[in-house]
Amino acid sequence: MKILALFVLHKEGDKNVRILQNEFNLDSFGYFERRGVQPLLVFSARTVTERTALDTRQSVEADQNVNAMVHVYVRRDGLASVLVADSEYPQRVAHTLLSKVMDDFTAMYPPSSWGSMGEQTGKMVSLGETLKKYQNPSEADPLMRLQKDLDDTKDILKSTLVNVLERGEKIDDLVARSNDLSFEAKAFYTTARKTNRCCTLF
Amino acid sequence: MQQEARHRWAPSASKTLPSTTTTTYIETLEPFPYQTLNNNNNTSSSSSSFFLPLTIMPNGRDRTSEFQTTVRTFASRRNGLDGPLPTTINRRQHPQSPTEQRGIFMQHAKRIGNDLSQTFLKLEQLSMIAKQSSLFHDRTMEIQDLTLSIKQDIGNLNRQIAQLQQYMRDTNGVKSKNSQTHSSSVVFVLQSKLATMSNDFKQVLEARTQNLKDEKTRRDVFSRNTVASSLTAAPSIANGRPSVLFRDEQRTTSGGDAVIDMGSDGGHHSSMKQQLLAIDETDTYLATRSEAMQNIEQTIVELGDIFTQLATMVRQQEELIHRIDANVDDATSHIEGAHTELLKYLRSVTSNRWLIIKVFAVLIIFFLIFIVFLA
Repeated sequence: MKILALFVLHKEGDKNVRILQNEFNLDSFGYFERRGVQPLLVFSARTVTERTALDTRQSVEADQNVNAMVHVYVRRDGLASVLVADSEYPQRVAHTLLSKVMDDFTAMYPPSSWGSMGEQTGKMVSLGETLKKYQNPSEADPLMRLQKDLDDTKDILKSTLVNVLERGEKIDDLVARSNDLSFEAKAFYTTARKTNRCCTLF
Repeated sequence: MQQEARHRWAPSASKTLPSTTTTTYIETLEPFPYQTLNNNNNTSSSSSSFFLPLTIMPNGRDRTSEFQTTVRTFASRRNGLDGPLPTTINRRQHPQSPTEQRGIFMQHAKRIGNDLSQTFLKLEQLSMIAKQSSLFHDRTMEIQDLTLSIKQDIGNLNRQIAQLQQYMRDTNGVKSKNSQTHSSSVVFVLQSKLATMSNDFKQVLEARTQNLKDEKTRRDVFSRNTVASSLTAAPSIANGRPSVLFRDEQRTTSGGDAVIDMGSDGGHHSSMKQQLLAIDETDTYLATRSEAMQNIEQTIVELGDIFTQLATMVRQQEELIHRIDANVDDATSHIEGAHTELLKYLRSVTSNRWLIIKVFAVLIIFFLIFIVFLA
């Protein structure tokens, strides 16, 4: 489950798409494959953004044979971001990540300057960090993290419940034994008293 | 007798119109008492009765040659209509006159127009059914049959137009410039009509896929299944059928002069398809998010349940523990008491010597008295 690339683009009209920033993580490809894969990813990101209308999200399977999905979200104000990941990456997390990236970008660069930014001029340091962080979606995405914590807690509680049941059994055992002990003690006491009370030998 | 016969024929001639002389003569060739004439004309004619009117009628015209040419044109026209297009074109009888060529060309154009109108009708029917079929599920067979037939018709029409074009080009050297332009414009009109029809067909197919998708989302809303799985299937279906149609068309219009330009339309088409899918995507995303929230909620509720179960079990065990506590306390007290008794006994045993001495002294005195008295 990994992310291959993350793009921030700006879309004007129907055809004018500019890539403002991109980050890649191509470690899974061989050294010689990387040089060919990168332009392909750039091209596919541009094409998919061109073909997507404003204020829509899409998740497109890149090719039948290739294990890759392209997730794109074009916002109403023209800012768009594209995430290329493999097909096991959960779709919901991908779109959450896209929204988050665009919110960060909007915070860093005001919307008025988007029209004037050229290609690859938007530099947001956190994009690379975000890419690395989201390689493991169950840690990074809050919803998934919450779910994972809850599941862990549930497991712990289940084991606790099992322990309590064992404790119950041991307590039952103890009850029986203490019952026997008290009977024996009583018998001992009556015998002792009997030797003291009854007829004196000699 | 001859004079008599002539007299009999003459009044019928005066009655009828002069223009339709030939036919009227044929019609009024009644059961003629030719026997009498044969008997009379034994010397002059030994031939059959068919030649009798010619020999009898002096003021009739012989129009058999006209009749034969008319029959021939009718026969040729019928042959042109019945036979398939390639055979009549290929079986070029040298030389084919220009008028015959034009005749053949026009016949084929007329036939293509007829087929076009029929296909238009089918297309209208299909569009009506596709619009309606949001509720009835049994219409899918009809739609598929109609789609298939329309596709075949479009292919046929394409082929026929291409052949017509080819024929026009082959026979172009003989005709004048005006007739050339006329033929080319006829072919152009047919091609443009075919292009509009295939566009309409494409739109109908798109409407139908949109309907299918709406149905599916409506069904999913009620059954709460994930829509995500259907999305991956829908693009392949939606993009598969129209693209097959495009390929078929491009294959049949091998001439290249066809006005049908599907290449640029293909891009828009897929973007439209993607747009149609995009609306579902935002719904899907929100649906998955709400589903995740609900899962988390459910997990928390289960956690609470587990906690309460735990508390109940522990409280039940507390009661048992009280019992154990009581039992052990009882045992302790009894053992303490027993211990005390034993101590008392020990004390009594150790501190009781005087009594024993006294008892022993009495015993010895008694023993002495017993022995003294007896000895």
